Amino acid sequence: MAVTGPPSPQTPTPTPTITPQETAPIGNPIFARIRIANSSDVPHLHKLMYQHAASQRLTHIFSATESSLSATLFNSPPFQSFTVLLLEVSPTPFPDGPVGCHPPITRIVNLDLPIVDPESKEFGSGGEAVVVGFVLFFPNYGVFLGKPGFYIESLYTRECYRKKGFGKMLLSAVAAQAVKMGYGKLDWCVLGWNANAFGFYKKMGAQVFEELKMCRLTSDALQAYESFS
Amino acid sequence: MAAAAPPPPPTPTPTPPTTLPETGPVGNPIFARIRIANPSDVRPLHKLMYQLAVFERLPHLFSATESSLSSNLFNTPPFQSFTVFLLEVSPTPFPDAPVGAHPPITHVINLDLPIADPESQEFGSGGDAVVAGFVLFFPNYSTFLGKPGFYIEDLYVRDCYRRKGFGKMLLSAVAAQAVKMGYGRVEWCVLDWNVNAIKFYEEMGAQVLQEWRICRLTGDALQAYGN
Repeated sequence: MAVTGPPSPQTPTPTPTITPQETAPIGNPIFARIRIANSSDVPHLHKLMYQHAASQRLTHIFSATESSLSATLFNSPPFQSFTVLLLEVSPTPFPDGPVGCHPPITRIVNLDLPIVDPESKEFGSGGEAVVVGFVLFFPNYGVFLGKPGFYIESLYTRECYRKKGFGKMLLSAVAAQAVKMGYGKLDWCVLGWNANAFGFYKKMGAQVFEELKMCRLTSDALQAYESFS
Repeated sequence: MAAAAPPPPPTPTPTPPTTLPETGPVGNPIFARIRIANPSDVRPLHKLMYQLAVFERLPHLFSATESSLSSNLFNTPPFQSFTVFLLEVSPTPFPDAPVGAHPPITHVINLDLPIADPESQEFGSGGDAVVAGFVLFFPNYSTFLGKPGFYIEDLYVRDCYRRKGFGKMLLSAVAAQAVKMGYGRVEWCVLDWNVNAIKFYEEMGAQVLQEWRICRLTGDALQAYGN
């Protein structure tokens, strides 16, 4: 998963002779919104998932299509099954949306410098907003706790938006939802060679289970069980 | 998870002078049935889950109650969310079940010797049958494949029933269901010191993904994100 850290604090500029508006933004503010993805987000989501596979050197096993995502990701209410939270950013505030049962999370991040985004057109999502990242998660079960948790399958932020706190924002959003629902744990995997990610997760308070290994039955080895019944 | 190896093939008994029925059982047959668990199975299921915690050297982390299982495990149709397959065994054949959407899987295993089960009363499930194990699994998702799979959270077979093929039977049942539903993967975790289990899984065709580590936010560290 992509690693991000919190932005560094701003140095306030000295007061000029003209009285500035007390609410004027410092530096380069960027407005972030995390909302539940819907089927119209599939083209952006598919591109992000491909980029994520590329960042893990796994494009050779990437076979998801826009059509398979549409068919599998939006069949249940949010949080009951596979759920995607999409992260969008904009140089101007997001308009207030209709109040629903899952209102988006909005944040302002103050940057030293504006972000140069070479893919801003490709990821445009209305007005000046662009899609920047996503997190895909679903309920899992904790046999020892006797209650559900969440498992994060993928968390990804586009390269030019890393190290600004956005990955942490996405992970925190899932953690907050877990707490809100009384869930017992939040699990995910990390590649052992991703030292940046390790540091990021440990700073967030996560434990890393060195002795647990994932097993996987897939492709022909899985198909071999077709006739078992 | 408990390790299981397939039983060795039985040695056929020689034909004596009087004619024996050709379909007579060889050795000690045991009838196995894998079916979807329901709320009335919570008591044996809870006991099995505790035994698994003990096996994994983690009984101090076990806080599930029968009531928490009842309230979490049976809220959705099978395979849409958390699903439990229960394994029952009996010295006599299981009666035919009413035909439903998910008929049970039945098998016969021929053993050299009958199994001595010190907990047969505690795990009795009607007639001569006892509950011998379970597997708990739920749908997961692969963004790379763009489709669901199954994740096996727990697979457990009681001590006296191990090394007879029952663990393999439970895992195969989940794999078969995944194939039937067009799913892409079946995944689970193994403790790296459980060499028996690793061998069992590799023999079944699974890869062990050495480069991944599991991370977890829980307890107070998770609660801190409540705001």
